[in-house]
Amino acid sequence: MSPSITILAQHLLNGVLIGCAYALIAMGLTMIFGVMNIANFAHGEFYMLGGFVAFYLVSLIGLNYFAALPLAVVVVVALALVLQHAIFRRLREAPMMTTTLVTIGLSIFLENFALLLWGPQPQSIPTPFATKPLSFLGVYTTPLYVFCMGVTVALIIVGHVLIRRTRMGKAMRATFQNKEAAALVGIRIDRIYAYAFAFGAALAAAAGAVLGGFIPVEPATGGIVTLKAFIVVILGGMGSFVGAIVGGLVLGLAEALGAGYMPSGWKDAIGFFAVILVLLFRPEGLFKRA
Amino acid sequence: MPEPASYRVATTVVLVALCAVPLVVHDEYYLHLFIVSGVFVVAVLGLDLIVGYVGQLSLAHAAFFAMGAYTSALLFVRLKWSMWLGLPAAALVAGVVALALGSVILRTRGHRFIIITVVFAELMRLVATNWVDMTRGFMGLPGLTIPALDIPGVGSIDIASKSRFYYVVLIAAIAAFVLCRVIVRSSIGRKFVLIRENEPLAESLGISAFRYSMIAFAVGAALAGAAGSLYAHYVGFVSPDLFNFSYVTIMLIMVILGGKGTLAGPALGAVIFTFLPELLREAAHWRMIVFATILIVATLYMPKGIVFPLVTHLLARQGRPRNARAP
Repeated sequence: MSPSITILAQHLLNGVLIGCAYALIAMGLTMIFGVMNIANFAHGEFYMLGGFVAFYLVSLIGLNYFAALPLAVVVVVALALVLQHAIFRRLREAPMMTTTLVTIGLSIFLENFALLLWGPQPQSIPTPFATKPLSFLGVYTTPLYVFCMGVTVALIIVGHVLIRRTRMGKAMRATFQNKEAAALVGIRIDRIYAYAFAFGAALAAAAGAVLGGFIPVEPATGGIVTLKAFIVVILGGMGSFVGAIVGGLVLGLAEALGAGYMPSGWKDAIGFFAVILVLLFRPEGLFKRA
Repeated sequence: MPEPASYRVATTVVLVALCAVPLVVHDEYYLHLFIVSGVFVVAVLGLDLIVGYVGQLSLAHAAFFAMGAYTSALLFVRLKWSMWLGLPAAALVAGVVALALGSVILRTRGHRFIIITVVFAELMRLVATNWVDMTRGFMGLPGLTIPALDIPGVGSIDIASKSRFYYVVLIAAIAAFVLCRVIVRSSIGRKFVLIRENEPLAESLGISAFRYSMIAFAVGAALAGAAGSLYAHYVGFVSPDLFNFSYVTIMLIMVILGGKGTLAGPALGAVIFTFLPELLREAAHWRMIVFATILIVATLYMPKGIVFPLVTHLLARQGRPRNARAP
């Protein structure tokens, strides 16, 4: 392959992993938005906590890497359920301004709590993978990258199947479309709230734990992740799962290309311009509500 | 709201007390806090128009503040414009940018609006950080000064000292207060409240929620820009740190706890929540956690805020103010 094509392929490969992570986080955010009608500004904090808990399980307790990842997700989901019970339950039917301000407060709380516990320094999760790069047609990658890629893709599929194929997913989608009707046919709405919240937190925490081996995690990471996930959700259409997946991949690829071909520092601006374009020409997003 | 005599007395007492501050307070540090809180009053009143009166949550307000600071700083550094020109220019730039942004995003009010305002604020931070040729990036723009006040026939008055600049900020804060009061008491202000309380009803009466949200958004942003200009020249330095999310958080706390949808509440909130963080300086690590907790609890359990309901309660019960509530 010619060098320029190889470089392009390299950028695209980098973009796919980030894109898959965006998709994973945005799926949960869209679920919480659809079911609870809350724009959860604390969502990125679950990603950050997933990364930090995994880091501490591996490097401080010395737990096996492959056991630490799922355990980190369990820990974060437990915390999410506590938060759901203590705070989010009270936000049912609350005005938008209230729900947004509370989740912003929660986001600041969690970020600064993480700062107190762990300090500001970025941490990479130690992984058991060899650092020797793999080469394929001139495009380089690492075993860790392949692993992360496999896990995120698998999780997207699992999430999709959960929503589409299980009774639980069906109940969530029903609540999503019409709360009163769902309650009438015997769906317990408060339980669906808890499931939707746990589902979203689990996907974000998993993304954080997996990518934490790759991209160092710091307390401030959560805010950036939340922002990116919101961009994806608006791009894809608020409340659309397919939109979240496609939007995530599109943003990931666009940013990777931007980082490759534009002056550094500007790649994060791509999402904003994409959002403005979408709002001007297709306000409901690329995909309508599922 | 009816205005008993106690309110007029209270207003007079507060004004006199505010004018007397530099005569009583000689400590440079406390004077500094008064000046900063005055700057915040200007910005927070603008935020209150959007959040409190029209009922749209804007997270871009601190970005307009920072944009005003940068506008004024760049005009000073590149073109040698003094603050007297820089301040109106900063207000104008922030207002015009808000109009442009609002024309796109205020059509979709609600969650999308909130999210895009925060995305926009982040974009502005990126511009301030990465447009190094213009803004010097992380290094910021130092060396801003407070100009002398030239009055024809009187001569040039130096206002750079804290005790004198305090009056500049005080005048700005009072001007902002009067402007907002005129707006909210006019038919425009009543339309703001109608849109907040019942948008379908407002639309059915032919009141465009879009247009009136735009007015509040642009005027609010212009006030933030003006405040940013004052702040930049007072501190003498601007940097991308001005775009930190913590600024918009503290402004929201000032409005929400002060009592959104009133003017005196957020203004008093601005003063209280400029001084309060300083008392928490010992526990710097806990400060943001305390703030976040306050924000959550107040939003959930005190939708009317704390400051305004408390003050009106005291005034109504006493019939007359007990003593000067010097802020």
